[in-house]
Amino acid sequence: MSSFRVLVVDDDPDMAAFLARIITAEGMAVDTLYDGDSALLSVLTQPPDLILLDVMLPGKNGFEICEHLKSDSATALIPVVLVTALEDRESRVRGIQSGADDFLSKPVNREELVARVKTLRRLHETRRELEERRLAAEVQRKEAIRKAFARYVSPRLADSIIRDLGNDDAPFKAHAHRAEVVVLFADLRGFTRITESIAVHNVVEMLNEYFSALTEAAYQHEGTIFNMAGDSLLVGFNVPFPQPDAPARAWRTALGMVSRFGPLSAAWRGRYGVETGVGIGICRGEAIIGNVGSPHFMSYTVIGNTVNTAARLVQMAQADEVLVSGAFYESIRELVAGGRVEARGDIALRGMSETTAVYSIRL
Amino acid sequence: MGEDAYKVKVAKDLEDLIPTFLGNRRKELDALRVALAAADFEQLRQLGHRMRGVGNSYGFERISVIGKHIEDGARSGDKAALAAQITDYGDYLSKVQIAYE
Repeated sequence: MSSFRVLVVDDDPDMAAFLARIITAEGMAVDTLYDGDSALLSVLTQPPDLILLDVMLPGKNGFEICEHLKSDSATALIPVVLVTALEDRESRVRGIQSGADDFLSKPVNREELVARVKTLRRLHETRRELEERRLAAEVQRKEAIRKAFARYVSPRLADSIIRDLGNDDAPFKAHAHRAEVVVLFADLRGFTRITESIAVHNVVEMLNEYFSALTEAAYQHEGTIFNMAGDSLLVGFNVPFPQPDAPARAWRTALGMVSRFGPLSAAWRGRYGVETGVGIGICRGEAIIGNVGSPHFMSYTVIGNTVNTAARLVQMAQADEVLVSGAFYESIRELVAGGRVEARGDIALRGMSETTAVYSIRL
Repeated sequence: MGEDAYKVKVAKDLEDLIPTFLGNRRKELDALRVALAAADFEQLRQLGHRMRGVGNSYGFERISVIGKHIEDGARSGDKAALAAQITDYGDYLSKVQIAYE
């Protein structure tokens, strides 16, 4: 039988001993205290499963203790039985107002005491069981959400999302919103030749290796993967959670992608005789973020000029080259070795109404 | 009072608690006498209240009844009635016979 602990509080030692004896005979553990202040301290430090509480006590009286316990979420669910010789209506009303779960009149009838305690024990255990089930369901729910999030963000960020998850459930807002973001596109150079000259199952294996390397780099810096199509990967920063150092994260992700892909590219060269590399485009600016799709299929999406600019930049980038917009470059200038950077001037990118200052960084 | 009025049946599993219980009742009797001599009605009321609660819990119905009378007497300040109840209590404690079952 699980241990069910009852706290008996009565300033009359004979009454306390009587209550303790009856409860113990029913297989429950009993602690006994004789004044209100000690009782309150004990409950707060070592919450019992049930309290039998005398009303007329030295220190805080039973009503005051009950009120205190019921107003504290940590102790509100502990059942309290007021055991009292006070028979007047006013005292009963005061007891109800204090939040007592039940009353026992003194002198105490043994059978009534046992019946009430057993009932409250059953209720308490049922409540505890329901609470355990609720918590288990909550854990399951969060795990399901974590798995869903993990499709978009790094496992570390997914855990952080779950930890901070409030009642509004998701940071991936149902309604689209505008936000300042950093968008990184990565593309595999030499992919067209691969698809033409290498067996399909090998192409799939290579793409898996390629995306694994790039995804790991993105996750390491807590980027959010928005899209993976063909040989192209779209990663966002400062979304869905603020990242004050988003440009630095994006830059380190670009470095990580190229360095992780290096050994893979060398292995492919040996295995299939193909020359490959990663081209990257990065842009900083405002974008629209939201879940886009139909009731049957939704996609967490980032759209807008910032994304289009990054897409144009990656199309122009050579292997091991990062093409970045001027606004992005300004925010990472200090992180980049000067000799690697080449200003390409203001370029009219396809489909864009205004020119974009472009910088090339060779890795 | 007849002989039966002093006979009390107490649950067997409370037997080891009874010597302490009766010891405390005798101390209570002394406290009642002192409070009465001092006309300390609040103390008398509290003692009567306690007797009422604990007496019949153990099976001593008479103690609860006397306690109730003392509590009421203290509230009304009826010194003569209180004296009679305290005497009655002393008589009861000296003659009570306990059977454990």
